[in-house]
Amino acid sequence: MIEPLKVLIVEDEALLAMELETLVQDAGHSVVGWATSLAEAKDMVDTTQADIAFVDIHLTDGPTGIDVAEYIGDKNSMVVFMTANPKRIPDHFAGAIGVIAKPYTMSGLTSALRYLQEGVRRPPPTSERPAGFTLSPAFEMVWAPAA
Amino acid sequence: MDWKRTREPADAWHMTDDLHVEQGKGDPFAAAIRATRMSMIITDPRRQDNPIVFANDAFLRLTGYERHEVVGKNCRFLQGPRSDKEAIAQIRAAIANETDLSVDILNYRKDGSTFWNALYISPVSNDKGELQFFFASQLDVSDRKRSEHRITADKDRFEKAVKERTAELEAALEAQTTLLHEVDHRVKNNLQMISSLILMQSRTVSDENLKRSLGTMLERIEALSTVHRRLYQSKDVSRFDVSDFARDLISDLLTASGRSEINPTLDLEPIVIPAEKATPVALMVNELVTNALKHAFKERPDGTRSGSIGIKMSQPDGHLNIEVSDDGVGMADATGDASFGMRLIKSLARQLRAEIEWRDAGPGTRVVISMPNGPQPKGNQS
Ligand SMILES: Nc1ncnc2c1ncn2[C@@H]1O[C@H](COP(=O)(O)OP(=O)(O)OP(=O)(O)O)[C@@H](O)[C@H]1O
Ligand SMILES: [Mg+2]
Repeated sequence: MIEPLKVLIVEDEALLAMELETLVQDAGHSVVGWATSLAEAKDMVDTTQADIAFVDIHLTDGPTGIDVAEYIGDKNSMVVFMTANPKRIPDHFAGAIGVIAKPYTMSGLTSALRYLQEGVRRPPPTSERPAGFTLSPAFEMVWAPAA
Repeated sequence: MDWKRTREPADAWHMTDDLHVEQGKGDPFAAAIRATRMSMIITDPRRQDNPIVFANDAFLRLTGYERHEVVGKNCRFLQGPRSDKEAIAQIRAAIANETDLSVDILNYRKDGSTFWNALYISPVSNDKGELQFFFASQLDVSDRKRSEHRITADKDRFEKAVKERTAELEAALEAQTTLLHEVDHRVKNNLQMISSLILMQSRTVSDENLKRSLGTMLERIEALSTVHRRLYQSKDVSRFDVSDFARDLISDLLTASGRSEINPTLDLEPIVIPAEKATPVALMVNELVTNALKHAFKERPDGTRSGSIGIKMSQPDGHLNIEVSDDGVGMADATGDASFGMRLIKSLARQLRAEIEWRDAGPGTRVVISMPNGPQPKGNQS
């Protein structure tokens, strides 16, 4: 058994945050917090310990998801973007692992969670990269070097 | 200008005599030069500062000077502040190198007015090859220059107009692309919300049939979601790669079912279809694959229901062929057309003008779909 993940959710849509929380818990992980804006996210990053943060690009105070990722920076969490508009992500991905494109499917997300758990706990991940999940160029090099 | 007076000035013959000792009075050649309407001068480079030694009447008419004002002077009095420096340098070089030159230069008349001069200069040597004179002719080409300028100005104006219009169109296109992205963003978010609503709802339902029904609904909506996710990932939003979609779909459905004992066999050519066909094709494939998953495989004594599901896509001569097959129980016991899934598949087939056929694959079922599909765009076949 690999140790489960502690997850921070940064998402402005309540329904999507709720669903994500459910799916995260179903997969055996735990949610340590939910933020809807840059300010809330900063606060939560400072006061909680998360292994991974799922960050939407568009939050209640605008397209501040990138800033959230930059703030998390090299604190202990890793960032995965979750957005319906992956083209908005800068080329350097603000240090994030990658992006889960919305709309994701239930099993797409569950597979992504397993893949990320392996990647965070025992890198590089061994399971197949799920549909709808794209690695940043930096992580592509480390986690999925071309054979 | 007084034509009569300048025509036969007292020293004109003398000048001509100076020029060509061999050619005297009454020489028809010299007379022609003097009388021609083409402005001409001759200069003597052997004298200090290469002065004019002969100027015909046409030259005097063109420039407005009297003969005594020009003879003995270097031609540079024709130049003025707006004469092109480059043209002046060319004239100097031609004289220094004793070569021919043809050049347009803006010259000044005595009264200060200007004219465009198509100047031709040519060195004249004697039999021994020694330089004797420079011969120069002047042609007033102001009219040609004016129309040249007008054409250039027209062209500049036209180019500017085209540039402005292009910028307008580009801005409009960009606004439209932004709008398209915004709408796309909302569609995707809403699809995600719909899936979430169904998922959350189904978790609170205890009735197994209802749960299953919501599960089927979620599958169908997720098939649409997968279409939308894929549609706007590519650069060309008007085309949709069905083979990539099929790969995503089968891995999704197998993972969701948790049926690791089922083995997918994919034989997929890269095939793109127009975006408007993406949704019906995707829904149809989703129905067929979920049917195979749900109905084809009988439970074994050990509780597993193993087998394989195949998807094959090919594109022979303008047709898209899709085969979804399984090696399960076959459809001999199927209850007919009453259920929603079958009706949906058949209606979608009609919409796509597709032929669809269920074949007994002994063991299992092979569903064969064939529909017209236009030529593949270049660079999409690998
Ligand atoms: N690949 C298959 N192998 C065996 N039986 C099949 C297969 N596909 C369809 N069937 C039979 O055909 C019937 C009709 O399928 P159909 O998709 O219309 O309904 P359904 O899957 O039971 O429900 P739904 O309307 O939710 O799709 C199924 O109940 C099943 O008995
Ligand atoms: Mg069905």
